Amino acid sequence: MAIRVTFWGVRGSIPTPGPTTVKYGGNTACLELRFGDEDRLIIIDAGSGIRELAGEILKKDLKKGPLTTKIFLTHTHWDHIMGFPFFTPIYIKNTRLDVFGPVSFEEDSLDSVVGGQLQYKYFPVNMGQLEATIHYERLKETEMDLGGGLKLTTKYLNHPITVLGYKFEYQGKVFCTVYDHEPFSNIFDVSKDDPSYDEEAVREGALAAAEENKKVEDFFAGADLLVHDTQYTEKEYKKDKKGWGHSSFQWAVKSAHRARVKHLVLFHHEPMRSDEELEALYCSLVKQIKDKTSLTVSLAQEGVTIEV
Amino acid sequence: MNDKARTIAVIKSYISKMPSLPIAWSKIQEISKNPKATPADLNQVISLDPVLMGRVMKLINSAYYGLNNQITSLVRAIIMLGVNTVKNLALSTAVLGGLSSKNNFQALNNDGFWRHSLCVGVAAKLIAIKRKKDPKQLEEYFVSGLLHDIGKIPLNNKLSTEYVQALSLTDKEHLPLYITEERTMEVNHCEVGRLIVSNWNLGAAMEDVVFFHHFIDQYPGDNRDVLLTVAAANYFANAYQIGFSGDRYPEPLAPAVFEELKITRDDFDEVESKVNGEIEKAKIFLQVAHQ
Repeated sequence: MAIRVTFWGVRGSIPTPGPTTVKYGGNTACLELRFGDEDRLIIIDAGSGIRELAGEILKKDLKKGPLTTKIFLTHTHWDHIMGFPFFTPIYIKNTRLDVFGPVSFEEDSLDSVVGGQLQYKYFPVNMGQLEATIHYERLKETEMDLGGGLKLTTKYLNHPITVLGYKFEYQGKVFCTVYDHEPFSNIFDVSKDDPSYDEEAVREGALAAAEENKKVEDFFAGADLLVHDTQYTEKEYKKDKKGWGHSSFQWAVKSAHRARVKHLVLFHHEPMRSDEELEALYCSLVKQIKDKTSLTVSLAQEGVTIEV
Repeated sequence: MNDKARTIAVIKSYISKMPSLPIAWSKIQEISKNPKATPADLNQVISLDPVLMGRVMKLINSAYYGLNNQITSLVRAIIMLGVNTVKNLALSTAVLGGLSSKNNFQALNNDGFWRHSLCVGVAAKLIAIKRKKDPKQLEEYFVSGLLHDIGKIPLNNKLSTEYVQALSLTDKEHLPLYITEERTMEVNHCEVGRLIVSNWNLGAAMEDVVFFHHFIDQYPGDNRDVLLTVAAANYFANAYQIGFSGDRYPEPLAPAVFEELKITRDDFDEVESKVNGEIEKAKIFLQVAHQ
């Protein structure tokens, strides 16, 4: 298999350990990607799940020599970086880490945002005391050749801070992440009686939102595996979660179906959602789309590996 | 380093710290802190401030660097960047103003400069509508007009003694301001404006408008339509004395510009009432409710 994706953290917002989340897991975002026969490692996000991935790496990879790898952060909200100080390879000499990610304002540097967690007032070890060599690089919308036939494309998504979706292409297979992400909407579309109604803005806003949504769908069109934000149900989203930066199950399924994705993984589970509730939502969703699409849909689950 | 190089160095270091206009500070703070403020409120307050407008455009165009099209629509920028990001940017730009010297706008009057900038933006857009330009391009005319004199802000704030001299020289010798700026500081606001617009990565058309709006005869490029429109709007603002940006004795607009744009002075009368209405609306909007 060309690409193997293992989920070490699937939860949104905050870790939720406890009896109601044992099956799908309570750790926040962290994905382990392995490419080809050489088992090349790339990590997406450093949520609390990265601590357990670190244990796996110590057992498996360090035998082969010092660790050299790349971490791609989708964004710098805390649930996606909080595990970084617990990623043990950063304390091991000769580890070489390249950390990539977007920042919203150019005055902020990625190393201060991510590495800034390692200071005495938050944590007993200071950034300057780390044994590893860590290189931080701000990413924008771009294409990168990662060598060995691995190609990366990034795409801006819609969230309260700058977020990148990642697309990895390897040996003819395509793997994408689209989280944290809310569909673009025309936020200028208010009722005509509203004092802030502006016809021109409503028209321009509708056009901009449609075009941006199309660009996101084009980004993952035809993907073999897509990990998409599905924090809310459509009902929750419409009720009071608009503007929070997350998608509904229904949006992700429709969007993936339109873009002819082969396998969609529902990800970034709402922290309040129990295993039982997640499964009930999943079953009802599967029932709704049965015979209407060739799309395979799964729930992201800690410790599970999906291969393409 | 000669005097001109020193002046340019002072201005360059100021650009990154350039605050939004004081007239908008309170409203920006109100909107940024109010979770119920609408995207339309945000859109409006940014549209009324050349510095803020420039910064949002810079952010969207540098973040999306590599895309084929320069983004000039603020509505689109807010949708793409998100309300939260834009609010933070607006607030930080206004805070820069709060921290800087209270002696800002010594030579030029803040309210007059603001009215002039807004007038030229609105008038450029109205002229473009009159000339049946594509609705998608109207925002570019507005933003170009709003920002055309942006180069005066660093000159006025960082070289205020020299700027007072430049302004009194225009009165004494009945000269256009850009000439007296050159005499007292060796640079004019067009050159400084281009530095800012190029630093903000706002694209070639905007740079051309800012740099050539007093030198349209010498303009060699492809953005003639927007440049001439802004030059005409600037002439209108000065002739009808809407706001004041220091140019009491501007050069007249060549008849050829009217011919090329296919507008007449009568069109300006129509523009005048609409512009005044827009400025009054803006004034009311910027007054903070709880003050």
